[in-house]
Amino acid sequence: MPRVSADDRLGRLLAVIPWVAGRDGPRLDEVGARFGYKEAELVDDLELLFLCGLHPYTPDVLIDVDIADGRVWIRYADYFSRPLRLTPAEGLALLAAGRTVLAASGGDDDGPLARGLDKLAAAMGVDATETVEIELGPVAEDLLGTLRAAAAGHRQVEIDYYSFGRDQRARRVIDPYAVFSAGGQWYVAGWCHRVDDERLFRVDRISTATLLDTAFDPPASPPELAAYRPDPGDRRVTLELAPSARWVVEQYPVEQVEELDGGRVRVTLAASQPAWLERLLLRLGPAVTVVGGDDGLACGAARRVLARYQG
Amino acid sequence: MHRLERLINLVAALLHADRPLTAEELRARLPGYAEDKAAFRRAFERDKEALRDLGIPVVMEPVDEARDPGVMGYRIPKESYYLQDPGLAPDELAALHLAASAVRLEGASGVEALWKLGGEVAEEGPAPAVAALPGTAHLAPLFAAISARHPVTFGYRGRPRRVDPWRLSFRNGHWYLAGHDHDAGEERVYRLDRIESDVAAAGADATFDRPPPGDPLLPPPWELGSEEPLAARLLVDPGQAGWAASHVGPDAVEERRPDGSVVLAVRVTNRDAFRSFVLGFLDHAEVLGPAELRSELIEWLEALCPG
Repeated sequence: MPRVSADDRLGRLLAVIPWVAGRDGPRLDEVGARFGYKEAELVDDLELLFLCGLHPYTPDVLIDVDIADGRVWIRYADYFSRPLRLTPAEGLALLAAGRTVLAASGGDDDGPLARGLDKLAAAMGVDATETVEIELGPVAEDLLGTLRAAAAGHRQVEIDYYSFGRDQRARRVIDPYAVFSAGGQWYVAGWCHRVDDERLFRVDRISTATLLDTAFDPPASPPELAAYRPDPGDRRVTLELAPSARWVVEQYPVEQVEELDGGRVRVTLAASQPAWLERLLLRLGPAVTVVGGDDGLACGAARRVLARYQG
Repeated sequence: MHRLERLINLVAALLHADRPLTAEELRARLPGYAEDKAAFRRAFERDKEALRDLGIPVVMEPVDEARDPGVMGYRIPKESYYLQDPGLAPDELAALHLAASAVRLEGASGVEALWKLGGEVAEEGPAPAVAALPGTAHLAPLFAAISARHPVTFGYRGRPRRVDPWRLSFRNGHWYLAGHDHDAGEERVYRLDRIESDVAAAGADATFDRPPPGDPLLPPPWELGSEEPLAARLLVDPGQAGWAASHVGPDAVEERRPDGSVVLAVRVTNRDAFRSFVLGFLDHAEVLGPAELRSELIEWLEALCPG
């Protein structure tokens, strides 16, 4: 069992006290389920609370905790009658999550989620729709609908997919395990029968998706919501970035970062697909130098693009 | 004595007090603190830090300026400790809980917030994961400043900025802040991952009003700038035409050619961002005009081949 620090226990206990104190003896198992406690941990925390209160800590000013018949009562803790306000990080996490789900589902502005968000935001002094906007990536609604239906019903789909990394288009039959948005793009993770392996597809690069009658067995555990997972066998490239290109460190899965003079930084990242790296190099231009790997890549890509502008 | 017990007693004492309590009073009243002054100081500093990390507002104030000038004490103001009950109905709390488990915001968790709102409510099976959003350390201080309506300062593109923050937007995989830039005297948009310093609060609360968003969505990156506007035309090959058209929106499609390619017409006020967009197509797109943008792109590409 992971050890929970006193600080973490304090935050949770300060939420439990007002909830229990406001009720007439809720069941221990219900309190445990609501606040993520095992029953023994909960009893530990409650027994400790029994010794807490105000100066001079005589029985009349101690918090009264009764545990009997699987139920718990907390009394004489008026100063803990209401929970602690939300921190900005907690409030934002909830608002962002709610707004994301509304954006993903096409938004039901009168549903319980939208109503809950409005109330929550008002309690924090903001307007839910005006202060946090979420856009999950432009994709055709019908395409997303087909893929989600296939994933939910465990049915295969045939997709016409443009591989951005390889710069190739092909038809593939896939078992869609999950449809999700990560880093501002929609993805479908699943088994690709063309390569007989698990693959991740960007939904905006699928031009058509046809629902097939064939069913598939879903995987035992759902795939992780990661847009890109570097493979140990992938080719590595080492780049030196000017200060203006430092954002690459945040935006790409870099594996090594070394600070250099003058705000420059040297990074190593996995680049399994040449087209992906070419785009990065062309975009960064003079702000990047390839110091480990193919240093002719940028020029080669630049010449191919330049060929369109000649003649 | 267990540290958790001492922390609970400390919160209770500071919250219940009708005047600030000095450190010495706290040491004398609270069981579990050492007699030794230096050991007490260390423990007390650590406890205050733990409370602040949880978002518990411990303030330091003069105890009684008239009778004991200069003597400072501590308390937790009730009005900034207690949650203002949002009055959530059970179905609303359940929907929020489902959303918090379906979305992962990197570096933040909605679990503690849900505890404060009454704990997690039972649900049937695990919720399907919907989305993962990247996080940055700037999100929380900016959101705090938006809700309290106080200005912030931060470094951006080599210059210090002073901004009234209005709104956070997640778009194209990035977080953006929209707000009023004091130096520029107008609304500006900043990408959070390009902020070069910590975000610092810089002024009193409630010093500005947030205007409602004019445009429901942020403009595309090539319109996030204040350069002289250019009407750019971009030819995109058939293989990428569908994606490109859905990305810029139907209004920007000027022509659909019989071979399946498209010509996009967009307004550019940020040439760097437009060049990035164009180069994302590698050799599957071509800037048709204006000549100025074409020659800039050619120059940029030629510089990549030394010699």
